Amino acid sequence: MKETTGLIEKISLPNATHQHLELSVDPSLQSLKAGQFVMARASEQWEPYLRVPWVPVDLRAGRLIIERPVEETYRVGQSVSLIGECGQQVRFRKGVRNVLFIAYNTAPTPLLMPIRLLLRNKVSTTLVLLGKATDYGTTHLPPEVEVIHGDMDLNWPNQVMTVGWADQVFVCVDQDDEQYRFAQIYERMGERRNEIPKNYLFGLFQSGMACGFGVCDACAVRVSGEVQLACMHGCAFDLTLVKLGIAPGEG
Amino acid sequence: MDITIGRDNKEPITLTTPVMPAAGTFGYGDAFPNLFEIEKLGAIVTRPVGWRPFSPANGTRLISRPGGAVMHTGLPNPGLVKVIRDNSALWQMVEIPVILHLIATDTDDVARACERISQAPYIRAVELGLRDDVSWQEAAELVRAAERGLERPLLVRLPFPANEDIARAAVDNGADALVAFAPPRGTDRNPLSGKIVPGRVYGPLLKPMVMHAVGRLSRRFPAVQIIASGGIHSVDDARDYILHAGAAAVQLDAAIWVQPSLLNLVARDLAGLILTRPKDALPDEWFPGIGETDAKRMGIPFNTNRPTKGDGKDKR
Repeated sequence: MKETTGLIEKISLPNATHQHLELSVDPSLQSLKAGQFVMARASEQWEPYLRVPWVPVDLRAGRLIIERPVEETYRVGQSVSLIGECGQQVRFRKGVRNVLFIAYNTAPTPLLMPIRLLLRNKVSTTLVLLGKATDYGTTHLPPEVEVIHGDMDLNWPNQVMTVGWADQVFVCVDQDDEQYRFAQIYERMGERRNEIPKNYLFGLFQSGMACGFGVCDACAVRVSGEVQLACMHGCAFDLTLVKLGIAPGEG
Repeated sequence: MDITIGRDNKEPITLTTPVMPAAGTFGYGDAFPNLFEIEKLGAIVTRPVGWRPFSPANGTRLISRPGGAVMHTGLPNPGLVKVIRDNSALWQMVEIPVILHLIATDTDDVARACERISQAPYIRAVELGLRDDVSWQEAAELVRAAERGLERPLLVRLPFPANEDIARAAVDNGADALVAFAPPRGTDRNPLSGKIVPGRVYGPLLKPMVMHAVGRLSRRFPAVQIIASGGIHSVDDARDYILHAGAAAVQLDAAIWVQPSLLNLVARDLAGLILTRPKDALPDEWFPGIGETDAKRMGIPFNTNRPTKGDGKDKR
């Protein structure tokens, strides 16, 4: 974990809503694993005030491919301060064959690097886009990814089958109220399966990261009765172990 | 520029640099050594710890605004006993004083906590964090409860806006130093959900308000050391607190998360390590963390064969 500088080498538009920044980075960040991310600061001014988590969608020839909304402005040659690597690698079950990815009301950005990793290992992947996530153009994704569009109410075609076939499920949700959204997903998965086993349904916790190196407690999540930090121990947590909808604290 | 906090009968601590991280911005001192030069700091202030465990806050906890942020964490911690058990090995190894930030919930818990802390010699001082809605009578009782059970220096972190009655209650009941101030409370709308979120406010704009209050406090209580905390986002901010507001030391808060190297830079500056730039200083010594790209952009020479950290080739 250290503070380094990255350089934007190339900018491309994979779809109408997002841009891809090709970022040459310090060697320490060139071995970033699926699920890990960096905390970025693109301006020397205090605007935006806090660093922003940048989750790579791919790693090409030692360069990080970062996906950002098109509303943000970047230029080729721009240097960006990066703190990383943050978080832990996403853990897949041994012998996994079918993995279901769900993006609910948000772009599937944090799911794309795990998807590419699985495809390289000949694992079949299904990506379900729900609610506002359906606005995300998917033509740039590898053709092996099965993309399904659903609605705001967590319905999608062949839901029982896709859930039943999945060996593992990874979910990212809108950051407006992450815990509530994860609770909704958890409830729906419970309706579609007899039980949700451990190591099956994972939520990728993205919201509320101020530091990225485990000191601010903004991303604290209660897992198995203990406080864990999404930026250090996540960002993927087994939703069967996470206490969702906990009582308000003080502070 | 050594600063001594505490009275003779209370095992005073000496800070070799008047710079430390604020409570809740630096973990328990276990922050990554590649990001911080811990030995250059005056002390470590731990994240807030209660006698009993605290759970994380529910729902949205962070709103980033232009030039600032509102954050509400719930001060999650597993309780003092577990914190001491988990971190005692680390704190015994650290060469600078460890100041434990104790959340002042009630007098019984504070007294119990201070009794436990007295058995941990590696905790060199306590910073008592008062509630924002504390009255001066309650503040007096809490400080008295802490002071009674403690053989170490007691720092009291005051709520903001400043209330001189509370400061006086702290000083009269045994505070060795005042930390001015806790980040103020704020309320803002979460732009994603539209919900109203309460929390503590961070940002550069706090500095003028806090500096004004620190100046008043240092004039009103000249016998007590004031440690200024709030809105420091540059070396000059930190210097202002010490040179113009009468603070004895400073604490940096949210700026550490955004620019960790700032903590090192302020610590070096206020320790007198940086007065003029040595002629042959390498850019990454002068601007910690600087890379080749930034060096070129700023028009300063960059030596790619620079010595690595710890090889003993200190230019100064």
